[in-house]
Amino acid sequence: MRSLYNISLYSMLLLGMIAVELSETVNAQQTPRKLVPAGSYHSVLPEVVGEPVQVDSFYMDETVVTNEQYVKFLEEHPEWRRSEIPPVFTNDGYLREWDSDLNPGYENLGMNRPVTRVSWFAANAYCAAQGGRLPTLNEWEYSAQLLEFANEAEANKFSSKLISWYSGIDVNNLPEVGSTQIETTAGVKDQFGLIMEWVDDFKPIIADELSLDCGTVGRMQTLGSVYSYAASIRYITRMSFNAKITTGMVGFRCAFDQPAPASQNTQVETL
Amino acid sequence: MKRAISKITLLVGMVLFGMSSMLSAQTEEYTLDGMTFGMPEAEVYTEDYNGSPVVGEYITQLPNLAPLDYEGNKHHEVRIDIIVQEIEVAEGVRYQAWTFGGTVPGPVLHVKEGDRITFVMKNRSDEEVTITEPNKGGSPFMQQVANNTYQKNKSAIMPMPHSMDFHAGTVAKDDKWRTIGPGETIKFDWIANYAGSYIYHCGTPSVLMHTAMGQHGVVVVSPKDGYDTGYEVDREYVVVQSEYYLTKGPGELYQYDFEAASANNPSHVVFNGHQTILHDQPLKANAGERVRFHVSNNGPSGTSSFHVIGGIFDRVWLEGHPFNEMRGMQTVLLGASSSATIDMIVPEEGKYILIDHEFVDAEKGATGTLKAGPRKK
Repeated sequence: MRSLYNISLYSMLLLGMIAVELSETVNAQQTPRKLVPAGSYHSVLPEVVGEPVQVDSFYMDETVVTNEQYVKFLEEHPEWRRSEIPPVFTNDGYLREWDSDLNPGYENLGMNRPVTRVSWFAANAYCAAQGGRLPTLNEWEYSAQLLEFANEAEANKFSSKLISWYSGIDVNNLPEVGSTQIETTAGVKDQFGLIMEWVDDFKPIIADELSLDCGTVGRMQTLGSVYSYAASIRYITRMSFNAKITTGMVGFRCAFDQPAPASQNTQVETL
Repeated sequence: MKRAISKITLLVGMVLFGMSSMLSAQTEEYTLDGMTFGMPEAEVYTEDYNGSPVVGEYITQLPNLAPLDYEGNKHHEVRIDIIVQEIEVAEGVRYQAWTFGGTVPGPVLHVKEGDRITFVMKNRSDEEVTITEPNKGGSPFMQQVANNTYQKNKSAIMPMPHSMDFHAGTVAKDDKWRTIGPGETIKFDWIANYAGSYIYHCGTPSVLMHTAMGQHGVVVVSPKDGYDTGYEVDREYVVVQSEYYLTKGPGELYQYDFEAASANNPSHVVFNGHQTILHDQPLKANAGERVRFHVSNNGPSGTSSFHVIGGIFDRVWLEGHPFNEMRGMQTVLLGASSSATIDMIVPEEGKYILIDHEFVDAEKGATGTLKAGPRKK
């Protein structure tokens, strides 16, 4: 049964790659991109002792994609509207709370709040349309831990709160993007405290080898910190999804290999 | 073009690889010592289902146990969906619980040794499900909760992956106890091979967090020939002890306290999910009656030294298995996920206090009342 599931996952991933290729126009609306400098970090997944995961520099959206931004994408890409999206790319719940195809109902969902209830496929297509991609798992995680704390006690306090937050995200009242006051040293905001986010390889190959049981978190949090405990919960939750799942807790942001192009306004000025 | 070809090759390769490993995973049913093993593989799928979250004839709300009114064995069709509910666990203490069926602990399933259970569970953690109104097609549990909503439930949403681990089942956990995402459904069979009271809980890591958030309950498997006593009991009750690890959140609600859970320092230790429920609604009996308690300590981490003030346990079957009989016990020590079936003679009219004799737990809430009326016969 599990192997059947793998087949469907792999074929869905392939479909996703094809779908992405179909939509490659650049959206005019840009979220500021932040340069995340190259570096390394320790993942909670098994790694060779003494060899932390290396991450090249990349650019990432400062904030996650909002409802308003997602509407703009749908205006230009009707194939991803709720009434048009093929069922192979999503479960039934895609944009479930929206009033209609192009109207989220801002009084309830907020213009500047994160778009959620989007499948991995849809998130992928959105980022491709911006000329980008979803961040890889390692890019996202590496960026997320670029936080500064006064001391270890402060870091542990933050991580304990993070675990509580994972137990009770209020999906009916998500805050606006940029509002969490949690910002990395690279200027990327809200990687915690807002929503969980899709990454490109949310179910790494090793996911199948990890036995999910009462001891998994204990085995994963090899770094011994409260942060690695919180990270383990995040990894396990994320790898338990499949690419069609849409939930009120999961949204996304995009990553890029290039800086943002100069905006149209700037170009007008230089002319 | 080259790129397209390589993708097709990749896909075909993966399909073939998948099929080869699928063949090796088949299982066949067999019997050993009169018990049945080797269940078909679990199915995971999506379904359009928005009906009652708990379906099945022999499923009740704590402390009730459904009577088994059938001869021989039965094939049960049971549904217990995962839903999120804001509940009260003590006066003024509410949190968003992750639940099986809507309450903490979840519903009590009663089956007989040798019964087969086809179990269906949808992860509806991303869906508001109301359980306080009577609904059609539900189990007695649904009706009982609608009539007596002692946790003051409100529907809520908190989408998370979850799973079901029935201690009463003997299966491969990487198949049956598999984690499913929000919106997915899992279906599998298991057979109640051993008599006794068994906990069930979510097995998705952090299991400590998932069970502390409320995902546990009890299956009572009655022995096929009953307990060898020569008498009938007058009443049966199910009592579950469990811990909460809660701290005040930023708003009105409480939330999971990771530090307390890691330090084994519960905020509340309770019977049947609420700090005062067994005082607010005492168990009832009369002097001279035999009462049977099915007591389970669902943890997640603590032990219970279960005692009844004013009583001595006449007979105790550890884990509820008829072979494990003890006599004349004052206290039964239950580890996390351990149970006992206890018969007690109610001596005279008055109040008897059920208590975890580890007093730190008692002071955090693990007490209840058995209220006895005058002798009737």
